[in-house]
Amino acid sequence: MKLDFNFILRNLPTFLEGAVVTLELSALAILCSLVWGLVVVTARTAPSRALALAATGYIELVRNTPVLVQMLFIYFGSAVLGAPLSGFAAGLLAMTLQNGGYMAEIYRAGIEAVSQRQVEAGMALGMRRHEVMSIVVLPQAIRKVVPPFTNQAIVMIKDTSLVSSISVAEMTFHAKLLTDRTAAAYEVFLTLAALYLAINAIVSAALRLLERRVAIPT
Amino acid sequence: MLNVLLANLPLLLKGAVVTLYLSAASAALAAVIGVAVALLQLYGDPVTRAAAHVYLYVMRGVPLLVLLFAMYYMLPYTGIDVGATAGGIIVIALYFGAFMAEVFRAAILSVPRGQWDAARALGMYGRLLMLIVVVPQALRIAGPPFVNTCIMLVKGTSLVSIVGLWEVTMAGRQIVERTLAPFQVFGGVAAVYFVICYCLSRYGRWLEKRVSYVH
Amino acid sequence: MVAVRGVSKWFGAHQVLKDVSLDVAAGEVVAVIGPSGSGKTTLLRCVNLLEDFQQGEIRVDGEAVGYAGAGAARRRLPERVIARTRSQVGMVFQSFNLFPHMTVLKNVMVAPVRVKKMPEAEARASAVRLLERVGLADKLDAYPARLSGGQQQRVAIARALAMQPKVILLDEITSALDPELVGEVLAVIRQLARDGMTMMIVTHEMQFAREVAQKVVFMDGGAMIEQGPPRALFADPRTERLQAFLKRFREGYQL
Repeated sequence: MKLDFNFILRNLPTFLEGAVVTLELSALAILCSLVWGLVVVTARTAPSRALALAATGYIELVRNTPVLVQMLFIYFGSAVLGAPLSGFAAGLLAMTLQNGGYMAEIYRAGIEAVSQRQVEAGMALGMRRHEVMSIVVLPQAIRKVVPPFTNQAIVMIKDTSLVSSISVAEMTFHAKLLTDRTAAAYEVFLTLAALYLAINAIVSAALRLLERRVAIPT
Repeated sequence: MLNVLLANLPLLLKGAVVTLYLSAASAALAAVIGVAVALLQLYGDPVTRAAAHVYLYVMRGVPLLVLLFAMYYMLPYTGIDVGATAGGIIVIALYFGAFMAEVFRAAILSVPRGQWDAARALGMYGRLLMLIVVVPQALRIAGPPFVNTCIMLVKGTSLVSIVGLWEVTMAGRQIVERTLAPFQVFGGVAAVYFVICYCLSRYGRWLEKRVSYVH
Repeated sequence: MVAVRGVSKWFGAHQVLKDVSLDVAAGEVVAVIGPSGSGKTTLLRCVNLLEDFQQGEIRVDGEAVGYAGAGAARRRLPERVIARTRSQVGMVFQSFNLFPHMTVLKNVMVAPVRVKKMPEAEARASAVRLLERVGLADKLDAYPARLSGGQQQRVAIARALAMQPKVILLDEITSALDPELVGEVLAVIRQLARDGMTMMIVTHEMQFAREVAQKVVFMDGGAMIEQGPPRALFADPRTERLQAFLKRFREGYQL
C-alpha cells in the first residue's frame, strides 16, 4: 500500500471545509443538548407525577431508538409537513432530542451521587431547600457530571457523521464524494479518520483539563 | 393514517428480522473481541498491550459510519471479499468490541483483591484461578454494562443502511420513497428498535438488581 | 516447620521488613503482635508468597518458598512451584474472602478438587466433616452473603483446613468481626491448637495470644523486636518499645 501524500495535501482544503461544518454542528448540538437536558431533568424530577412520567417516557423513547432514524423521521417528515428543514437543522434537532435525554440522565446521576447526608448537613445549618441545592448539592454534582459528559460529547462528535446521509456537506460527506470522484480510498479515509481522531483528542484533552480544574482536592 | 404502515408491515418485519440477525451476530463477535482485548490489555506483553491500546484509541475516536465506509471503499482494493453482510457485521463488531473490552476490563479489575489472594493461597494460579474465581464473578459484574453496550450496538446497526445493506432502516427508506409517508413509516422503524432496545434495557436493569454481591 | 531467615522487603525506597528471622516448630502456635504498620501482616503474606521479598529466605517443611539461589543468582521460582507450596500452607484472611459465587460446601471443596485433584466424593465427605467441626453443618448449601461474619470466617477456616495444610496463617481474623462474634471464631482456633495444628497468628487480641500461643513475637517498624513465651513476654518486656506498646494497649483497653 503506497499513500499519495500529494493527493492528501491537494485535497486538504476540501476536508477542512467539511471539518468546519462538523465542528459547527458538534458545538451547536452539544450546547443545545446541555440546555435541553436541563429542561428534561427538571421535568423528570418534578413533583408533578404526570410531568415526571412524561419525561421518563421521553427519555426511554429517545434512548432506545437510533439517532439516524430520528434524523430521517425529522428530515423527511418536515418536508411532508410543507416546512422542509435543512439537513443541518434536522440533524441538529435529532441530536439535541436524543442527547438531551442522555444529558438528563447524566445530570440526575450527578445529583443522586451527592449523598443525602450532605443535604441533611445543609439543612442542619439552617439552609432552605433551594439554598441547599445551589450551595451544597449542585457544586458537587457538577464535578461528578464532567467525566460522563466528556464521553457523551465524543459520541456526539462522532454522530455528526450521520448527517452526511441527509446531504449535509460535512467531513464524511466530502470524503465520500472525493472517493467517488478519485477512487483514492486509502488516502481519503485515512485522512478522514485522522481528522476525527484529532478533533476528539483535542476535545477530550480540553474537557479533561476542565475535569482537573473542578476536581475537589484530596 | 396507519394504512400505509399496515400495508408495509410485512416488509418492515422482514427488515426487523435482518436487524435482529445483524445485531445478534455482531454482538456475539464483539463480545469475543472484547474479552480477548481486555485480557491482552491486562495480561499481555508490552507489544500486544500497545496494539490493544491503538485499537481502542482508533475505535473510540473514529465514527462507526466512517469505518463502514472505509470497509466498503477500501476492501475492494485489497482483493479480500467477505461479502457486504459479513463486512458490516465485522466492522460493527470491531467498533463495539472496543466498548466491550472496556466493560470486561473494568469487570475483571473490580473483582476484589482479596479474591485473588484467597485463590492463590489455596494454590490456584494462571488459567485455573481465572476460570474458577475471577471470570465467574467478572461476568456477573459485566452483565448490566454489557447489555447497555448491546443496546448501543442494536442502534448502531441502523448505520449499515447508509452503506447500502438492507435491514429495517433501509426498508423504511424504500417504503418512504414509494409512499411519501415518512412519519408513519419511520415511526414504525423506530418502534422496531424501541421494542428490541427496551426489552434489553429492562433485562439489563433486572440483572443489575440481581447481581450485586456482598463481599 | 516454618523457618524465616533474614527476610527484608522494600516497597520502593521504603523498607517494610528488616532482616526478620523467626521459627515455628511443628505443632507450635506462634502469635505475631505489634502496632499497625509494623509489618506483621506483610511478614505473614511473605510466608506463602502473596508478597514478594527481596532478601533472605523462608522455608516451609524444609522447602524454599518462592526463590531459588542466593545473591545475584537468586530467582523467583515458576508460578507452578509457588502454587504447590501455597497449597501446603493454609491462610485465613481478615476480610474472609470467601468466593461469593459458590455455596459454603463448594467454597470448601473447590481447592481440594481442582488443585489437589482429590476425587469429588472424597472432597465432599471431607468438606462436610470440616464444616461440622466448625459448627456449620446446617449451612452447606448457603451462599456466603447469607452468613454472619463469624460464620463466614469459620467457613474460611474450614476452607483452609480442607487442603490439609502443614501450617495455617491467620491474618487478624477477628478484626472485621462484631465483638459478639469474635468468641465463636476464637473457639475454633483454640480447638485447632489443642489438636496440634501448626499456626502463625497475627492478632490484636492480646488475651487470646497469651492463652493459645507457645511463642509470641513482637514486631515494630518492620523489625522483630522481641520474642519469647507469652507469660514472660507480657509480664516482663525487656525492650522499651514493647513496654510502650503494652502500656498503650492496656490504656486503650480501659477506655
